[in-house]
Amino acid sequence: MFEFLNQSEVIKTIVIVGSMSLFFVGLFGLLTKKHLIKIFISIAIMETSVFLLFIGLSFNKSLLAPILTNGQNSFTDMNDPIPQAMILTAIVIGMAVLALGISFAIEYFKLTGKTNIDEMTSLRY
Amino acid sequence: MSSTLFIALPLLFGFTTTLLAKIGKNTVAYISTAMQVFLFVLAISLLVDTKPYIEIISIAPPLGISFVLNKMSLLFVVLFTFLMMLFSFYYLSYRKINAYKNETKFFILINMLLASAIGLVLSSDIFNVYVFFEIAGISAYILSAYKKTSSALEAGLKYLLTGAIASIFLVFAIVLIYLNIGSLNLAVISMNFETLPYNIKVLISILLLVGFGFKIEVFPLNFWVSDIYEGSTALVDTLFSAIVVKAYLFVFFHILYLFLPSGEFSVFLIYLGAFSMLIAEIVALKQTNLKRIFAYSSLGQVGLLITAFAMQNSDVVEGALFIVIAHSIAKSIIFLAFNNIYQEYKSFDITVLKKLNAPFLKVVMLIAMLSLLGIPLFAGFIGKFLILKAIAVDGMFSIVAIILIASLLEAIYYFKLMGFMFIKNETRDVLKVDIVHKVIFAILALLLLFIGIFPFSISNFLLDCANIFLDSSSFINMLVKN
Repeated sequence: MFEFLNQSEVIKTIVIVGSMSLFFVGLFGLLTKKHLIKIFISIAIMETSVFLLFIGLSFNKSLLAPILTNGQNSFTDMNDPIPQAMILTAIVIGMAVLALGISFAIEYFKLTGKTNIDEMTSLRY
Repeated sequence: MSSTLFIALPLLFGFTTTLLAKIGKNTVAYISTAMQVFLFVLAISLLVDTKPYIEIISIAPPLGISFVLNKMSLLFVVLFTFLMMLFSFYYLSYRKINAYKNETKFFILINMLLASAIGLVLSSDIFNVYVFFEIAGISAYILSAYKKTSSALEAGLKYLLTGAIASIFLVFAIVLIYLNIGSLNLAVISMNFETLPYNIKVLISILLLVGFGFKIEVFPLNFWVSDIYEGSTALVDTLFSAIVVKAYLFVFFHILYLFLPSGEFSVFLIYLGAFSMLIAEIVALKQTNLKRIFAYSSLGQVGLLITAFAMQNSDVVEGALFIVIAHSIAKSIIFLAFNNIYQEYKSFDITVLKKLNAPFLKVVMLIAMLSLLGIPLFAGFIGKFLILKAIAVDGMFSIVAIILIASLLEAIYYFKLMGFMFIKNETRDVLKVDIVHKVIFAILALLLLFIGIFPFSISNFLLDCANIFLDSSSFINMLVKN
C-alpha cells in the first residue's frame, strides 16, 4: 500500500519538505523564545535540518556504501562520501559551539541569575 | 611548504602548550612570541618574490584541500603576523603588571585566532573556509568572555549567538552549492556558478550574504558589534578590529569576485556599505563610552571598505587596501592605548580623556585619529582619496555624497575627542608608559606617517595585489592546472 513512498522522487520531496519545516520550526523558536537555553535548542534544530537536507538529498538508495570491502576494488556504484564527511565535521563543530554557548549561559546565570535575553542589558547605551 | 607553516605552526603550538607549560612559568609566552616573530620574518621573506602566484598547494580532488598564496593573500598574512607579533610583545610587558588568569589558554586562543585568520585568507576550498570561519569564531567568543565578568559573558553570549546563526546560513549555502555543482573547490564552483538557474543563484547569494554579513558587520546585521567591543577588554578589541574583521572581509570578497565576476548584485552591496557607514557614524555621535565610539568608527570604516570592494575596480580596491592597512594599524594604536589608560583610570567614559595626562599616548592617539579621519599626510587619506576619486570617475555621485557626509560626521566626534584630549590639565601625575609599549606605539605611528607621506612606496605593490584579487580567471587557471 505504501509502495509509492519508495520512489526516489517521493523520498526527495519528503526530505525537502520535512527538513525545511524543521528549519522554520527552529527559526520560529529563535525569533520568539527569550530563554537562553531554548534559543540554543532552536539553533540546534536549525542546524540539524540543514544536515538532514544535505544527507537526504545526496544519498542514493541503489548505490553502495563508500567502503572498499573484500570484493570491491574501485569506487564505482558507490554513494558520494563527501557529504557525509562534511556533515560529520559540521556536526562536531556545531556541538562544540553549542557546548561553549551553554557553558557561557551557565556562568552568566551563576553570576547574575538571569536567563532571559531581554534582561541582558548591561551593555546598552 | 611555507603557506602550510602559517596555519600549522600556530595550531601545533596550541597542542603542545600543555607540555610547554610544565617546563617553566614563562616558556609558553616566550615561545609563542618567538613563533610569531618567525612567521612574520617568513612572510616578509616571501615578499621579495615577484611572481603573482607564489605557492599553490593542493591535494588530489576528493580531499580537495588547497591553499593559494598569491600577492594579495601574502599582503594580508604580512599584516596579520605583524600586528599579532606587536600584540604579543605588548602583552609580554603587560603581563608583568596585570596578567590574564590561566595565561596558557590565552596564548592558545590568540594563536588559534592567528591560524584561522590566515587560514581564511589562504584556503581556496569553501568547506575549509567554513571550518576556519568557525575556529576564528570560537576563539573570538572565548576571548571576548575571557574575564568572566557579567558584561564580558554577556558580550561572549551575544557574539556566540550571532556567530552560530551566521554559521547555519553559511552551511546552508555550502550545501546548496555542493548539491548543484558537486564540488567544494572555489575554482570549480566559480567556473560553474554563472550557469546555475537564476533562482538558485539568488538564494545562494542571499544565504552567503547573511552568513558572512554577521561577520563582516554589514548594516542590518551589525547590531551586536558595539556590545562586543564594550564587553570585551580593550586588549582583545585590538585583535577583533585589526585582524578578525579583515580576514572575514577578505574571504567574503574573494568568494564574491570568484562567483560573480560580472558584478551582478554589487550595486546592492555598494549602497549597503555606504548606508552602513552613514548609520554607524550617526549613532557614534551620541555615544559616551570610548570603546563604543571606536566600535562604531570600525563599523563606519568597514562600511566604506564594503562599498569600495564591491565596486570591483582595481583603483578602488587599491584605495581599499590602503584603508585596510591604515585602519588596522590605527585601531591597534587606539585600543592598546585605551588598555594603558584603563590601567590607571579604571574607566572608559569619554571624560577620562579630559583628565588624561599622558603626552606620549596623546600624540600617538592623535596620529591614529587623524589617519582614521583621512587628513592629508596620514595613511588613511590616500585610501579615502583613491576610493572617492574612482567612484566619482564611475559617476556614482550619490555614493560620493553619502561617504562625504559620513566623513563629516566622523570628523565631528573625532574633533570632540581631540578637543577633550588637549584640554590643559596638570592635576594628575603623568601616566607611566612602559618603554616596550612606547616602542610599539612609535613603530605603529611612524608606519602610519610613512605610508601617508610616501604612499608611492607601496602603491604599485597594492595595485598589483588589487589586480590579482580581481582577476578570477587566472586564479581558476592556476588552481585547475594543479
